[in-house]
Formats: sequence, C-alpha cells, structure tokens
Amino acid sequence: MTKTLMIYVHPVEGSFNSCVRDAVVKYLSKHDHEVRLRDLYAENFDPFLSANERALHHTPPTTRPELARDVEDLRWCEAIVFIYPTWWSGLPAMLKGWIDRTWMNEVAWVLPAGANTIRPRLTNIKRLVAVTTHGSSKFVNALQGEPGKRIISRSIRVMCNKLCRARWIALYGIDNSTLADREKHLATIGQRVARALR
Amino acid sequence: MNVVVVLGHPSADSYCAAIFERIILALESQSAHSVTAIRLADEKFVTAMSTAERVAYETATPLISDETKRHAEVLLQADALIFVYPTWWSGLPAQLKGWLERVFVLGVAFRFNDNGKIRPNLQNVRHIIGVSTYGSPWRYVKLINDNGRRTLTRAIRMSTGLRTRTMWRGIYALDTCSQQQREEFIADTAEKIVKRLEKSSR
Repeated sequence: MTKTLMIYVHPVEGSFNSCVRDAVVKYLSKHDHEVRLRDLYAENFDPFLSANERALHHTPPTTRPELARDVEDLRWCEAIVFIYPTWWSGLPAMLKGWIDRTWMNEVAWVLPAGANTIRPRLTNIKRLVAVTTHGSSKFVNALQGEPGKRIISRSIRVMCNKLCRARWIALYGIDNSTLADREKHLATIGQRVARALR
Repeated sequence: MNVVVVLGHPSADSYCAAIFERIILALESQSAHSVTAIRLADEKFVTAMSTAERVAYETATPLISDETKRHAEVLLQADALIFVYPTWWSGLPAQLKGWLERVFVLGVAFRFNDNGKIRPNLQNVRHIIGVSTYGSPWRYVKLINDNGRRTLTRAIRMSTGLRTRTMWRGIYALDTCSQQQREEFIADTAEKIVKRLEKSSR
C-alpha cells in the first residue's frame, strides 16, 4: 500500500513506453497500491520555465497557482515512479521541465539565509523508481556518464527522505532488441516496480 | 570560424545572459569569426518534442518545422558550439535539452553507415565549449555529478567525433558570489574562449 505518483512521459500513444505504463499501472492497482497517474504529454504540460516564473524562484508556491496540482501530488505521495525514454543520455525535455518547474521553493527545498546548498522538504518520499528505455547499450551510457540516472538517483533524491531509495530499471539497446526481449521486459516490469516500492 | 553560441537561460537580464552577451561581443570583435547567437527563450523555441516530430524522428526526414530546419542548417556549418546555461537540478534547463532532442536528429547529428551502425555527422564541429552557472558549490556539483556537462561533452561529443576539443567554464555557489567575482568570471571566460578559438583558426 504505497501512495504512488507515476510520471509518464512519451509523446506517442502505443509506444513501448506506453505499454510499460499500462503494465505497471495494472500490476500496482491489482496489488493495492494507490496510484496517481500523470501523463505529461496528454495533459499538455508546458515544460518551459519562463523568465516570469524564474523571477518567482524564491517565493512560496502560492504565487504559481497553475502548478497547484503538481504541488499537491508531490506532497501527497510516498513514492514516485518515472516512466520515460532516455534521449541524449538523459531525461526528455518534457520531464526535465516538469522537475524544473514543480520541484519548487518550500515544496522540494528551502534555502536558509546565507547558505548555498538547499535543504530537503520532500521527506514524505521514500522511494524513487525510474523505468526507462535506452536506444544505445549500457556501455555507451556508461561512457556518457549516466546523466539521466544521476539526476534521479542523486540530484532530486537528496530533496526526499533521508532513507529514500532510488531504483533504476532500464531496458538498454532497445533499437537492437528483439520482440521477445521486449515482451519479457513487459511481462515482469509490474512485479519489478512493485518490488522496488517495498 | 563559424561559431554558434546558445543561451539556455529564459531571462534577458540574468547573469547567464550577461556572460552570453559578453562572449558574443568578444568573438565579434575578432574578424576571424562569424558568430550566430541563438537565444532560445527570445525565439520562443518549443521545448518538448511533439508527437508528429517523434513519429518523424524514425524516418529519413525528421526535420518537420521551420525552426528546427533553420537551426540544423546553422549546426551543419558550425566549427564551434558554445553553450551558456544555468545548471538546474544538476542538468540542462528543459528548453536547452529540448533543442538537442529536436535539432540533433538523423542527418544532422548522426547518420547510419552501410551496416546500419550510428556514425557521427557533425564532424565539422571542432570545439564544444560549455559555460554554466551553478547554485551549488563545486564539491557538491562533483558529488551529485555534473549531468549537464556530461550530456554536452560526452553524449553530444559522440556526434562530433573524437577530434573535437572540449572546454568547460563554471561559476559555483553563485548565490554567495560577490559582484567582483562575477565580473571577473565574465571577463576571464570571454578572454579564454577567444584565445582557445584563436589558436585553432590559425
């Protein structure tokens, strides 16, 4: 029973990532997890952090009522599951923009006066799970320094609970994968995510 | 030398934009360079790859909008790429990441060889230079991993070839930097970039 916020990002319905989303939602709902699904493309989420919004960087979330739903979701959940394709070694702009805009002052972090490192505020979040696909191999991603993985497992995780665990579930080399590889991934993905949430 | 300078900060009155403008000024004063300035926010460059673009991405003609076509042409002529952006959540701002996703496509950043393997297509780019502002101190940036830097100097560099030289300039703990430190960083950065590009255009 985990309150799970699922952030799904892919522009094409029917893509492999959308199949992953369906498999995970189905499995988690069947096993009594409370799932809130956010489909950023379907919602037409605007990932661009504008100059006006940037000027509000140090203000409370009430100055950005258009993001109230995201703030509520972030404060509600105990776990976040990200489902997205890895592009150029990292998060798609849509997902990066969601983080840029919604992990805001007083919600995700606070900056004490005179300090230069921010302090965590999302202590309700105890699990982060990334479910992603890579066109290239694990080796190539390692050469690139795994930027996407580290944004999730380090940069945003430090704004969560001290004991927050980050899990990485990736299908590498999808461009050269066979149908059997992908079906195998889909068959077990729900269970793997559920295990990561335990 | 054709130099393309990209600004990833949304506000024109930001410190990032000040660095950007100074670099443009410094390079334009050199007759050897032809400078293309890209201000993504001013251009209202669309951040996220659209559904139609994602479908086209898999085809031989992935560039389907005028803005991406225009930027692709500039890229294919570039000898040096300079990125100026704020590091947010240890990575690139979404709009700059979106620029990579939408413009660095098949026929621009990479191509397939006869065996269907991906090969770099931006071998004209000999320099990748990144300039970034960080809210966090240097130590913290290293601990978390400088993901924006890695995306540009490693992932993008795989599309430009191993002859490409990279250079990085970062100003850390920006919130506690004095005005003097900021100004020194701007002057120093512009000078170093000019020097780097000067050497190789000879």
